[in-house]
Amino acid sequence: MPAPLLQTTAVAKAFGPVVALRAVDLSVAPGEVHALLGANGAGKSTLVKILTGVLRNDTGTVAVNGEEVSLPTPHHARDKGLAPVYQDPAMIRDLTVEQNLKLTGVEVAKVRHELAEMDLDGLDLDEQVRDIPLPFLRMLDLARALAFDPQLLVLDEITAALPPDLSERVFAIMTRWKARNRSVLFISHRLAEVREHCDMCTILRDGRDVASFHPGQEGGESQIVAAMLGEASAGVRDVARERAARASTERTSRLVVRDLLIDRQATGVSFEVAAGEVLGMAALEGQGQDRLFDILSGSDRAAGGEILVDGKPLHARHPFEAIRRGVVLVPSDRLMALLPQRPIRENIAAPLYNRVLRWGPINSGRERRQVQEAVTRLSIDTRAAAQARRLSGGNQQKLTIGRWLAAGFRTLLLFDPTRGIDVGTKHQIYDLIRELADGGAAILMFTSELREIGLVCDRAAVLHNGAIVAEMPPTASENDLLTAAHGLEVTAV
Amino acid sequence: MTTAPPPVVATPLPRPTSRATRFWRRQGWVVGVALLLGVLVLWRSTQIPEFGPFEVRGLVAGTMALALLAMAQSVIVISGGIDLSVGAMMVLANCIAARLMLDQDLGTVVLVAVLVVAVAMVLSGLIGTVAVVSGVPDIVVTLAASFILGGLALIVLDGPGGGTDPRFQEIIVGGFDQPLPSTLWLAAALLLVWVPFKRSRLGIATYAVGSDRPAAFLSGLNVGRTRVVAYVLAGFYSGLAGVVTTAFTGSGEPRASIGATATLTSVAAVVLGGVALMGGSGGLLGPVLAAGCLALIPALMLGLGWDPNYAEVARGVIIIAVVMIGGLLQVRRKRLR
Repeated sequence: MPAPLLQTTAVAKAFGPVVALRAVDLSVAPGEVHALLGANGAGKSTLVKILTGVLRNDTGTVAVNGEEVSLPTPHHARDKGLAPVYQDPAMIRDLTVEQNLKLTGVEVAKVRHELAEMDLDGLDLDEQVRDIPLPFLRMLDLARALAFDPQLLVLDEITAALPPDLSERVFAIMTRWKARNRSVLFISHRLAEVREHCDMCTILRDGRDVASFHPGQEGGESQIVAAMLGEASAGVRDVARERAARASTERTSRLVVRDLLIDRQATGVSFEVAAGEVLGMAALEGQGQDRLFDILSGSDRAAGGEILVDGKPLHARHPFEAIRRGVVLVPSDRLMALLPQRPIRENIAAPLYNRVLRWGPINSGRERRQVQEAVTRLSIDTRAAAQARRLSGGNQQKLTIGRWLAAGFRTLLLFDPTRGIDVGTKHQIYDLIRELADGGAAILMFTSELREIGLVCDRAAVLHNGAIVAEMPPTASENDLLTAAHGLEVTAV
Repeated sequence: MTTAPPPVVATPLPRPTSRATRFWRRQGWVVGVALLLGVLVLWRSTQIPEFGPFEVRGLVAGTMALALLAMAQSVIVISGGIDLSVGAMMVLANCIAARLMLDQDLGTVVLVAVLVVAVAMVLSGLIGTVAVVSGVPDIVVTLAASFILGGLALIVLDGPGGGTDPRFQEIIVGGFDQPLPSTLWLAAALLLVWVPFKRSRLGIATYAVGSDRPAAFLSGLNVGRTRVVAYVLAGFYSGLAGVVTTAFTGSGEPRASIGATATLTSVAAVVLGGVALMGGSGGLLGPVLAAGCLALIPALMLGLGWDPNYAEVARGVIIIAVVMIGGLLQVRRKRLR
């Protein structure tokens, strides 16, 4: 058996009192696509950062080709043949793409070559990074990593925000890399991708590697989920069937949108969300969903059309006005919605202040009670109570949704609420969303994961090119949703 | 139900922005400031019966030190920091130069000038190193440094004094009605120092560090070293500003208030010149032109017969107005997209 390309032995890392990695052994063979899986807070990101020279491990060793290495900076890691593509592209927005490439000392010609291989040579490298949409930035970041010709390509949730056709190109690269007897460390929350494209997977839980096997084997997916969740796996249940069985009842419309023009060229969006209902919205990248949510939440203005909340028109010029009418947005970028430097308590309490007399004093006893109630209900892990930014992604998201819950808001706009969150926490968030709806909230939820339409929603609306092109029941297949999302007729219903 | 493969629709590539749009986005602000300067100069020329080389020389030579200081501040702001010690550095350089240049021959004077600039680079680099290594916010470190430098200036020269060689003055700021030398020096400071730096990997790194420190680190840059380099370059410009002051006034002046005012004016020039205080964008030409605008305003007020004290008020109003207009234009751009 050849020596593994990458071997970590008992790698551990703690941030103050919080232990991120206890002891991780990870072995990646040459010519292998290896998936690294685990719930949020399991230590994936920390391990990736150690492997790519961003963080240094406290104890344990990292060996490349059987030789122990030290990786004090990202630069050193690249020299050893470990090249990462991070979840957030490491590109500087104020510079052009070409300047970004020069920064890392990569040969621009090689990057161009890689882009051509991905059929993306139409991208203009003289463009400022800020003008390029995120999916293409990821592809550029990938091309840059490939241009270093790394032995191990580390892809940290690269497919999370990629449209299907670009994801396919990433998979093609993984296959190509394998054919060259080089390896890929692939991190993804999408188990289907892992099953289909990975030769091995290692699952982390609580900072340890708990299992390592071939994910494509019989029952691989459930084995992964079980390993990831440990004891908690019993709590995962299939919400879809349960709700599909439930008959729809009479409901009153809470949020009504009529012929809303997202931009001047669009035809107009119309839909209704009733109290107690979750309307799922599916769309491909860039169909106007971002602006639609911005408009509804008051941070952008429509070119025409109207929004009714409880039967009365809403002309929000500022999120404050939308919030006053009980319409709140939970963005997918969690740190955007939170006060990252402030304690959990203040984060939950912030929306409450909105209801307090403008200059009146804050009743801290009542505040504390409400906050405590919310924390318990959300089962947020409060070990990192001092600052919200120290919470794991899943806990942060629970906080962003839950704080509105504590304040008693009635119309929720959720934009891809489970992006980059592990399966276990996802289900907790699904439960939370259902609980809110059952409590009478009207919820509009955009999701990039079509499965969630069936899992959480009562109805689905498909957005294409700035218009709702289809409405479907939650039982609609992912295939039908996807077909409609591409603006095509759904024939076989 | 059959599961046909989902239709494959290629995600369209982002539409490239046109050359004109790009130029306007990147250079629009500088063009605007240049126009503003042009208008102010024209206005000034109508106030004076004979607007000739003498006035132009007075204007350029008088603005030179401030323009260099604005360049120093810009470099630091672009790298994502702020330097409250540039003015004090200029005053210290001025005092050292004036003391050492007094009654010396031209050769020695030039040597002193080079030495003074070198000292300023070392001191500024030291200040930068302290800020980077200690992790204390640069606004605190440079404020403290400004007191130290101001004190040193008073030790070097305990009152107005010192001197320099008249021929040196002529070389740097030009004679009585020769605007060319000072203009050329400023152009050289921009074209021979800044432009090559900006195009180098170090220059790009400076922008990168100012724009997004974590991403710069992930790109494999040494963030600390890049910041220190920015301080060294700023020291070069503020030291030069001190030498130029010596040449312009022919003496040294250790008063601390001069440094403090100069620092704040340099920040104003940076803002007016289109360098975002957040770091990572803008250049040095804008602030240099803006320094010209700021220097012209008191003269214009005088020409209008206003109380010169109002000039300060007018400067403040103009800075706010211009930056506000710029901000509104950006909001519009965002809306149109």
